[in-house]
Amino acid sequence: MNKIIELIKKIINKSDKLSNFTVIVYKYNRKYRNMPKTLLFALKGIFKFYMPSTKLSKGMQIRKLLEKLKVKGNNDKFVYYIDPLKMLNIKNFAIENTTIDYEIGLEKSLEDMQKENEKMKDGEYKENQKQLLLGIAELIEKEKKVAPNEDVAKNIENIKSKKAEGFQEALQRILFYNQIVWQTGHHLNGLGRLDKILDKYYKKDIKENKITKEDARSLINEFMKLLHENFWFKSNALLGDTGQVIILGGKEPNGEYFCNDLTYMFIEEIEKLQLPDPKVLLRVAKNMPRELMETSVKCIKTGIGCPLFSNDEVVIPQLINFGYDEKDTYNYVTAACWEPLITGKSFDQNNMKTIVFLKPFTEMLNKENLEEIHNQEQLMEKYKTYLEKYINEFFAELDGRKFETDPVMSLFIPHCNKVGIDVTEGGAIYNNYGATSVSLANTVNAIININKFVFQEKKYTLSELNELRKNNFENNENIQLKDQGIRYGKDDDNVLEITNTITKWVDEILKDKTNRMGGKLKFGLSAPSYIDESKDFEASLDGRKKGDAFIVHISSDITSNPYTELIQFASKIDYSGNRFNGNVIDFMVTPSFMENNFEKFTDFLILSIDIGFFQMQMNVVSSETLIKAKEHPEEFPNLIVRVWGFSAYFNDLPEEYKNVLIERALKNEGKSY
Amino acid sequence: MKVRVTNIQRFSLQDGPGIRTTVFLKGCSICCPWCANPENIKYETQGQFGYDIELDELEKEILKDEKFYKLGGGVTFSGGEPLLQFDRLEPLLQGLNQQNINICIETALFVPTSLLEIALKYVDEFIVDIKILDNTEARKVLNADIELYYKNIQKLFQQKHNITFRIPVTKEYTLQEHNKTKILELLEKYKPKQVEIFKLHRLAKNKYETLKKEMAEFQEVTDDEMENFLKEIKNVKINARICKI
Repeated sequence: MNKIIELIKKIINKSDKLSNFTVIVYKYNRKYRNMPKTLLFALKGIFKFYMPSTKLSKGMQIRKLLEKLKVKGNNDKFVYYIDPLKMLNIKNFAIENTTIDYEIGLEKSLEDMQKENEKMKDGEYKENQKQLLLGIAELIEKEKKVAPNEDVAKNIENIKSKKAEGFQEALQRILFYNQIVWQTGHHLNGLGRLDKILDKYYKKDIKENKITKEDARSLINEFMKLLHENFWFKSNALLGDTGQVIILGGKEPNGEYFCNDLTYMFIEEIEKLQLPDPKVLLRVAKNMPRELMETSVKCIKTGIGCPLFSNDEVVIPQLINFGYDEKDTYNYVTAACWEPLITGKSFDQNNMKTIVFLKPFTEMLNKENLEEIHNQEQLMEKYKTYLEKYINEFFAELDGRKFETDPVMSLFIPHCNKVGIDVTEGGAIYNNYGATSVSLANTVNAIININKFVFQEKKYTLSELNELRKNNFENNENIQLKDQGIRYGKDDDNVLEITNTITKWVDEILKDKTNRMGGKLKFGLSAPSYIDESKDFEASLDGRKKGDAFIVHISSDITSNPYTELIQFASKIDYSGNRFNGNVIDFMVTPSFMENNFEKFTDFLILSIDIGFFQMQMNVVSSETLIKAKEHPEEFPNLIVRVWGFSAYFNDLPEEYKNVLIERALKNEGKSY
Repeated sequence: MKVRVTNIQRFSLQDGPGIRTTVFLKGCSICCPWCANPENIKYETQGQFGYDIELDELEKEILKDEKFYKLGGGVTFSGGEPLLQFDRLEPLLQGLNQQNINICIETALFVPTSLLEIALKYVDEFIVDIKILDNTEARKVLNADIELYYKNIQKLFQQKHNITFRIPVTKEYTLQEHNKTKILELLEKYKPKQVEIFKLHRLAKNKYETLKKEMAEFQEVTDDEMENFLKEIKNVKINARICKI
């Protein structure tokens, strides 16, 4: 998708307006897949489309944009409106994949912000902020007018001169600033720790009998539904990729576990809504209530794939170890996916680019004289030199990126206001880059295979094996590179040692590197691009053929690899140093397996926290997957299904059982076979 | 010391309390026509089925998931008839006991009482099958000595309480009036912790094919018939459930 957008921009780069408009039309059509409807949208839209001139200061551009918005009221509890046809003309990299500190918007009125602005020393920063705040004032006036009733109008009016007080008001204010973030060209925007942030507003309203628990619940439901609107516009690389993650729960500095009524309500309402977005990430800890884990399992088993779990027992120590202030670490959120982020204090761009571990490995195989490599040690040393070069170039490219001045993001980082420096120029406290990564698993498996087939069993020379690889293993399907039992995902000393050695190298290469703002580059072992990056990628010695997907996040391609094995493997991966930028275990479970083993599955998750996974998500299977699995069993070795009352690996089942499962799943989804 | 196994299955959730590792031991003393693990009937290895494993290797495998046993889980020995190899398994059982690993077995109890006596020393949870209780029929269909079974049951209940009975429900055997009466008598007499009844399934079809054996066909037992049988068991005041295996 990003590539397509880039391409569209390139083709029509003569006119920014036309190219940006085309992207919007493309996104619209991606969702509705209906040409006449899209054409109508485009025809109507072209006249409404607006982008302020880049000759204006950034602050003025935003002010103009906010002034031009034609807001509509479409809900009886809140005003929330995004106009996809009004946008900024962004030519550089924009800050994305982040979560603003909504507490700032709740605690400060617009007037407070304006007073702060007046005190700033004169200059571009102050001027940009000033214009932004004027634009916000304008937007408040407009939204007040479309408010469905007096209460909502008052909630909006209060943004001007008061702190938020009530629960509904707090939600409204979060929506208000959220729409500004979206409207000003930021992608992948998280929501932060909403149970924590909203706690005092909820408690106060309950105490004063202003709302009941059920009122709060229905407001949360409405709030999430509104966030889901304009899903097509908010989605980035893939439909659904909006980054609207709500962080719940979490360990406190005193060791206690934080959760409240709202924690449960958010999960329960997400379960009810059955929408793919917004999504929930639950920060888990050893002493969390079992009931909360049960509520989560209940939600996950419906198949919506959340909550994702982030294990505070492992994550927080690594954040401290990296150098974030300890107080800040207990309040971490994630960038729009899973990369830990200190909100309100960070420039941290956690998802800038993906390290492809196989790239330097394949380059080595293509360039080196392979006859000179005689053992695993030499192989690893050679790889290290290629990896080093790759990471150096990787870092240089990131540090060469120019970011678009960002008054909106800066507004929500008090330190930027204090020093009068934009977030993209080093105004924040934390100024790190973040990378994701793919194909470490494939690389580790390739090394294991080479060691076995070349160095130990001497079945092939490395050159011979490499020739087979270059030929995409054509006519050599029987070399069984994929069938080795000891691979990534196995709780095996050798596998873990190779894994940790490679990531340690990257950690060491990056240790002394500082970006232009004094920050570091951190990385993690999960990335959404395991398909995109692999599409044109040559075959690899783990047995993967050209173009096949890389192994997903932290998962295993071993047939029947038990969950317990994967958890223990992942718990022994070293996440220290720079290696904590999101490390998600991903495995597939069927809804019925969770249903029929509800108690034991809950046990399993609770025990896994103590064992020490970093993050975890579960993939609840669909008919589409089952059909693919039936046709290409080799691609789905770990797919577990529940037949009647027990579980089996899908591949192990007789054909008729597979058919029955597919048929039932299709029926369930209202499709035909 | 070695034992012969066909499979060591981690993250087993159906073979006793908690999260367990199930060890499938090869070899059986009887031959049920509905057997779901036909690869475990013969002791001799058969192609891909069966390998010998040193006890300390087996222990390592079992202990791999030790951290997952904390909430009531442990190891389950299944088969085949696991008791047949219990003399050789004893040092391992001793070791597991010392490490407080919960041990469960799934047995049909058609074994010399001396083997059961080993189990009585170490095993925490017993899952015992009730198959065919009529003497002649047991001999004819299962090739089993029902007197030995009764003797072992008596011995077991004298010493242990954590006993679950499991009953495969067939129209041809279990639900036959004379057999059912005997089942209910047995349950009434011993009052086990719980009873699990289940329908037969055909999931072992591929294994039968690999073994070049014919898989027997049985009449379909309806949900109503299962419910009725469940009621009859509950009527003798036994805690029972339909197990959806």
